[in-house]
Amino acid sequence: MFPSNNSNDDRDLVGRARRGDREAFTQLIVQYQVPLYNMALRMVGRPDDAADIAQDAFLRAWEKIRTLREAPFKSWLFQIAANLCYDHFRRGRRYGVMPDEETSNVIGLGVATPDPQERAEANERMRLVRDSIAALDHDMRIAIVLRDVNGMAYDEIAAVLGVPLGTVKSRIARARAQVQEQLQRHPDFFPTREDAHAE
Amino acid sequence: MPSEPRIPAEPTQEELSAFLDHELDSATQARVADHVAGCDECRARLDGLRETAHAIRALPMETPPRTFTVPEQRRRTWRWAPAGWIGSAAVALLLIAVGIQNLHLPAGSTATSGSSSTNRGGLANAPASRSEKGALAPLSAPSPFTQQFDAQSAGAATNAATVVDPSNSARRLVLDTDKTSYATNGRMLVTVQLIGSPSTSLNSGDQGLTLILVRNGQGVVLRPVGVESWNSTPIFGGWYDLASFPLSAPNAGDYRLEATWLIPDGSGRVLQTSVPVRIAG
Repeated sequence: MFPSNNSNDDRDLVGRARRGDREAFTQLIVQYQVPLYNMALRMVGRPDDAADIAQDAFLRAWEKIRTLREAPFKSWLFQIAANLCYDHFRRGRRYGVMPDEETSNVIGLGVATPDPQERAEANERMRLVRDSIAALDHDMRIAIVLRDVNGMAYDEIAAVLGVPLGTVKSRIARARAQVQEQLQRHPDFFPTREDAHAE
Repeated sequence: MPSEPRIPAEPTQEELSAFLDHELDSATQARVADHVAGCDECRARLDGLRETAHAIRALPMETPPRTFTVPEQRRRTWRWAPAGWIGSAAVALLLIAVGIQNLHLPAGSTATSGSSSTNRGGLANAPASRSEKGALAPLSAPSPFTQQFDAQSAGAATNAATVVDPSNSARRLVLDTDKTSYATNGRMLVTVQLIGSPSTSLNSGDQGLTLILVRNGQGVVLRPVGVESWNSTPIFGGWYDLASFPLSAPNAGDYRLEATWLIPDGSGRVLQTSVPVRIAG
């Protein structure tokens, strides 16, 4: 689920991209487009807005890559996207509602699918998790998204957000506590250990 | 008298959360582990945090609705470049002129094979109009470079069909694929134009558009991906990996790719067209 940290590969590609090699930059896009898009999606909610942010982040990175010195490309790219997410909120855009639809571009007809009730419950669980992330303030939301969606280490998150490690630790802990509190309001979908024992 | 073993100090919420991520220094990690081992309450707190983190990590990684790309040349950051502005203005005027020309194409001029010319006009020009932010190509294109996308589509669009709305000759549904025959592991480029749509939405659901690859009454639904709205014409398209389709065995055979458009004007009118697609074993 989480992208591998190919910093050596990145260095080579970044070096070539700095010299104007668009093919090398395209390989960086291919490598980071899914995690970057998903970070933006969990931040802003609406797929079109998230895609705009990811596209804009790649474009800015391409235009500014010659200014990138020692910092890892991944942290730098995510920093650009994170700033774009904050710009998005500053422009007064609210968290969008993600369309409740299949995310795959191909849906089988006449093939085995999970039990409809199971599928409905899984969808509802996912919706509740998305909503609980969306209810967080922006600082906490981006910290938990970078950690639990993108699988970044705390020091990487600190580099992306430009905040001390202690702040990252605190934001993630508070975000998890708030999400947990939200989810526990739905014991049918997220039973606590006490609920399970009571049954 | 020997003192009783003491449970280390109760960890904070922050420490428990970082413990979960193995982000504590080794001494603190060990202290928290020792405490949790002897404290049911903190173990329950840790379990709660772990389940929360798992619930978030279980969210599926979504596929971007389009491919990202950058222009071939980096934008130059002129401080003062009137010549560049004039050039951009000229390009913009040219694009507007081309757009108007396309808008006034006579109805019916795009029937079947002719549809590809309108199609090229729409797709080829659309990204140019967005050169400021970078061109967009359909989902899963082999390369996000617009030039390659145009070159491939311009060279090979031979499988096309058009249906005209009988009550509005300016409204047409144009469907095409880049080839008629594909290997079982081939990639099919599909383009759908909703000319004269009352909506500019690039959401296929809003447009009432469905695409199905059918054989013997069974098939797969292809989710059409909005590519660009050009001259208010919503264009959908994408590359589809045939090997990923859950087709009934044997996959090889003759199919039809059917586009159905429930015109989103409340009239209930439906335009439908199809093209043959062969999957060769």
